[in-house]
Amino acid sequence: MKILRTAAVGVAAALALAACGSGDGSTGATGDGGTPEPATITLWLAGGDTPDELRDYLTTTFEAENPGSKLVIEQQDWGDLVTKLTTALPDAANTPDVVELGNTQSSTFTNVGAFLDISDMYEELGGDKLVPGFVEAGAVDGANFTLPYYFGSRYVFYRKDLWAAAGADVPKTLAEFNETVAAITAAQPNGIPNLSGFWIGGQDWRNAISWIFANGGDLAVQEGGEWTSTMSDPKSIKGLEQLQEIWTSASKAPRDATDANTYNHLNDSDAVEGEDGSTTSYSLDAATVMAPGWAHWSIGDLVTKDGKDVREWNDERFGVFVLPNAEGTGAAPVFAGGSNIGISAKSQQPELAKSLMRIIFSDEYQQLLGENGLGPANTDHVDALGDDQFATALVESALNAKLTPAAPGWAALENSKKLEEFFGQIAGGADVTATAKAFDAAATPILNGAAG
Amino acid sequence: MPRTLDHPPQAPALRARRRPRVPYALLAPAVLLLLAALAYPVGWQLFTSLHQFGLAQQFGASAEFVGLGNYARLVTDPGLWSVVLRSLAFCLVNAVVTMAIGVLLALLMKAVPRAVALVLQVSLLLAWAMPVVAAMTVWRWLFDYRRGVVNHLLTQLGFDFVGHSWLEQPLSFFFVATVVIVWMSVPFVAFSVYAGLTQVPDEVLEAAQIDGANARQRFTGIILPMVRPVLALVLLLQVIWDLRVFAQIKLLQDAGGVPSETNLLGTYIYQVGVGSGDFGAASAVSVFVLALTITLSWPYVRTLLREEGP
Repeated sequence: MKILRTAAVGVAAALALAACGSGDGSTGATGDGGTPEPATITLWLAGGDTPDELRDYLTTTFEAENPGSKLVIEQQDWGDLVTKLTTALPDAANTPDVVELGNTQSSTFTNVGAFLDISDMYEELGGDKLVPGFVEAGAVDGANFTLPYYFGSRYVFYRKDLWAAAGADVPKTLAEFNETVAAITAAQPNGIPNLSGFWIGGQDWRNAISWIFANGGDLAVQEGGEWTSTMSDPKSIKGLEQLQEIWTSASKAPRDATDANTYNHLNDSDAVEGEDGSTTSYSLDAATVMAPGWAHWSIGDLVTKDGKDVREWNDERFGVFVLPNAEGTGAAPVFAGGSNIGISAKSQQPELAKSLMRIIFSDEYQQLLGENGLGPANTDHVDALGDDQFATALVESALNAKLTPAAPGWAALENSKKLEEFFGQIAGGADVTATAKAFDAAATPILNGAAG
Repeated sequence: MPRTLDHPPQAPALRARRRPRVPYALLAPAVLLLLAALAYPVGWQLFTSLHQFGLAQQFGASAEFVGLGNYARLVTDPGLWSVVLRSLAFCLVNAVVTMAIGVLLALLMKAVPRAVALVLQVSLLLAWAMPVVAAMTVWRWLFDYRRGVVNHLLTQLGFDFVGHSWLEQPLSFFFVATVVIVWMSVPFVAFSVYAGLTQVPDEVLEAAQIDGANARQRFTGIILPMVRPVLALVLLLQVIWDLRVFAQIKLLQDAGGVPSETNLLGTYIYQVGVGSGDFGAASAVSVFVLALTITLSWPYVRTLLREEGP
């Protein structure tokens, strides 16, 4: 391979060799027991879900336990995380040492060997107590590469005042939910222009797949090592038909809207002030949305705290419930949000990285996660979430939550935007069966790792 | 004339015999640097395009040689051809619109009083200096389906644009994209053409005016031919830039729209390569775009060389 590369390049052989060096070398960095040399390690956190308090805890604890060493936390955007991982992880000179990534992205990167095998730490970090689906997403052939960081789940946020004005009750079954939100749209309570009984964007596949799961359908199944996309399975089709009905009669969201910031539509106003200093109700245009649990920090009345505009939850006006399943016996299986965390295979400081992992999976830190509304990876600490309605809804929906398929090509499929386009087409009124068949044909090879 | 006396007749022969080496020596470092900086990525791209190169290869697995397999896969994919046609149409429309507005603005700058021209130039410079991401954020807000100024104004004018999503349909997606890209590239065209216009001697225009040529005739008969090299060069640059437009389309796609119907070559390569982890196919498209750019710009370069030759 080296020879080929150099020949292809022709010029600047030194440059080419340098590039090769970073490609295949660097396995000798594993520590040889004892205390690792003091060094600086980097932790990549995705998005702003980890609050500052937790970040401070990590840096101070790490530095106290590893005198002379430093921990640098860098925050990456969810939007281009896969791009960043693809370019940074293979490069020993630039790789972060410990990385948080989406649970759906985990299997793709573990399958290509981007992460260090930490099977030997599995028991020490929590073992069987760790959320199983997430552990699976980070394991290949029984070896553990990434472990759960935190879990979240989706549930329904709704406006009690609008539901009451439309005479609607909290539904007990999925069919009831579908009918109720359509009825609210038809009733147009309080005369709000363009109101959606249930606001769901046409490309919002992360929430939409709940209807497929709730009807017993699945995104893909594995048989004999091969993955098959199952969007055109009769059970999936049933869910898709319900979705199309919702998009037609209940949701006025654009067909190209995604799941970003859906909670905005539930608030009376974003901080838009009129000339007379009053805030208008211009931005309220949904009676119901579905969002991950942490959205509740962004829903509520607008108040000023310490000179900053913040949202204050108001039990009179807002409520939450778990999306009911088809039989009416409990929660529908929704998509489990959350993260995995692992050590880069190219990390120059694996011993220090392991020390950081021990801190993350320590009782104190797991407890802190729960207190901040993030589902702790170690299920022993779920009680740290508290017992308010959010914690109850989180635990209830998370217990039934489903992960996306752990197929090697899942992240590629997600990034190809085919899911967004598929659900956008369904939302736009396309023929369900034909569109689902076309999607399956395109998705199956990608799921199995064949380049799209 | 006395000047010719300074150069004795044997001078040309002398020059031919001397063959100076210094200029070549001075050029060498630049050429070497250019080769290294250009040849390495292009060579690497050619190499990748001939191999099956995905995420696993990025992490060190060996890449299988597939010859022209990646190219064959692309040529037979109708998706690529619609992207190519879309990109060409988009690039030509944008380049022509940008040129037209830019030339008109340049003429305006010459025609209006100095103070007005100064205000115009400063506004153009600000538009030009604005970073792409910041500009795109502002434009996305302007066209936001819920609170965008554009929808608000149109609704005030009596049209029903409440909740109208501009990015949902490919055609109006590209309308927004064209508005943004033209807005961002007009300043460069306007300034370049303005610079060219200042080289047109006033005496010639005056003489034409005395001879009875009206404004249109002066423009087509005198100004246009004189600034033609500038126009040709600027148009060439516009075509190349608009063919490879990436950031604006990507940022608009992040806001909405249907990716497969709004992909241009730039975003298509990104989606195939970084998005889906198929670096082999993405490299093959890149090589194709390189060839396309050369083909498109070759006639211009040739005329430019001919005009600047002896």
